[in-house]
Amino acid sequence: MSAHWHQRREAGGRFAIWLIRAAGLHAGRAFARAWLYPITLYFFFRRTRERRDSREFLDTALGRPAHAWDILRHIHSYAATILDRIYLLHDTTLDRFDVRVHGLEQIENEIAHGRGVLLLGAHFGSFEALRALSLRRPEVKLRVVMDLKQTRALNELLHALNPEVANNVIDAGVDPGALALSLHEAAQQGALIGLLADRARAGEATATVDFFGRAAQFPVAAYQIASMLDLPIVLGFGIYQGGNRYDLHFETLAASVKIARSERSGELQEWAQRFAARLEHYTRQSPYNWFNFYDFWHRPAQRAQPRSEPVAAAAD
Amino acid sequence: MSDQQTPAEHELASLIVSSLNLEHISAEQFAPEQPLFGAETGLDSIDALELALAVSKRYGFQLRSDNADNKRIFSSLRALAEHIQTHRAN
Repeated sequence: MSAHWHQRREAGGRFAIWLIRAAGLHAGRAFARAWLYPITLYFFFRRTRERRDSREFLDTALGRPAHAWDILRHIHSYAATILDRIYLLHDTTLDRFDVRVHGLEQIENEIAHGRGVLLLGAHFGSFEALRALSLRRPEVKLRVVMDLKQTRALNELLHALNPEVANNVIDAGVDPGALALSLHEAAQQGALIGLLADRARAGEATATVDFFGRAAQFPVAAYQIASMLDLPIVLGFGIYQGGNRYDLHFETLAASVKIARSERSGELQEWAQRFAARLEHYTRQSPYNWFNFYDFWHRPAQRAQPRSEPVAAAAD
Repeated sequence: MSDQQTPAEHELASLIVSSLNLEHISAEQFAPEQPLFGAETGLDSIDALELALAVSKRYGFQLRSDNADNKRIFSSLRALAEHIQTHRAN
């Protein structure tokens, strides 16, 4: 099912990205934003699947049946943050935005230790808005983990807009050894390692947690990485509030994560649950920032420790 | 190329088993030329990270992400053991 949303998202993405880049940079944000209304209507009428997924999510998050207006607002909010990606990545100051930062002292506190920070986000609001933090603290590298094979269109845009940010991306699509070494080195450089912790890639281990009162699968890799590399975990959400306003929220989830390998799956589940609970908290406050336009609750579980038997089988 | 582990390969296989806490396989059962990671073994990048940390601790040198040969180095027990023997500090 995860291959499914990848295909859907990127198909529409390439055209939209070309359009917003052409219109966005050359004609300005106000002009480009006028196009968000027809684009929103187009997606509302043509993308029935996403419309249904949006409605199901909003029913849950709003606690009442979602109206067409709610869904339009949801799609518009998504399109607006995609457009703003251009400016957030391209601009050298963020003067055109009204960015309010909450919990700055929490992340600065963890950065000050100098051992690197695992910055966990989600497909919720705008992760790019967190770049405001990098502009304040240019000496701290932000290295975002992305699967470049799955997000080729986005990556092309990134290279065109901001080669430095693009070059600091840690590609999750490479072979396991190379990815492991990149993470290790990023931690040694004291970097902020950005990771979206709400979607598992195909084959990635997940844990079942409660999210909005229903069972959902959340990936667990982030907590294993934090434990192994001794990284604090800070949550970072860039919530779009309409107009030009973004509220950044930073919150320390764990100053230190110690997970014994032997009791791994239970503890991993607990950490995933903590993350999901905080994500739910912010999502309830800003439901139109939820950008997982697919059936989030019905993904198949991936076992947290898939190794034992397959290894034995391969060695036979 | 034989299917027998050399002493260096056996030492590395033991390190893999202990650092990854593998319960259903012993060091002797690692075929030297089998792929180390991927669908066949069930070992993923998280295991690779654990292994990289264990290697740097045990052998006193750090594997580098910018090494163009990484794909080959991590391809099998044999390749990794060879790489370690050339670069180990202790």
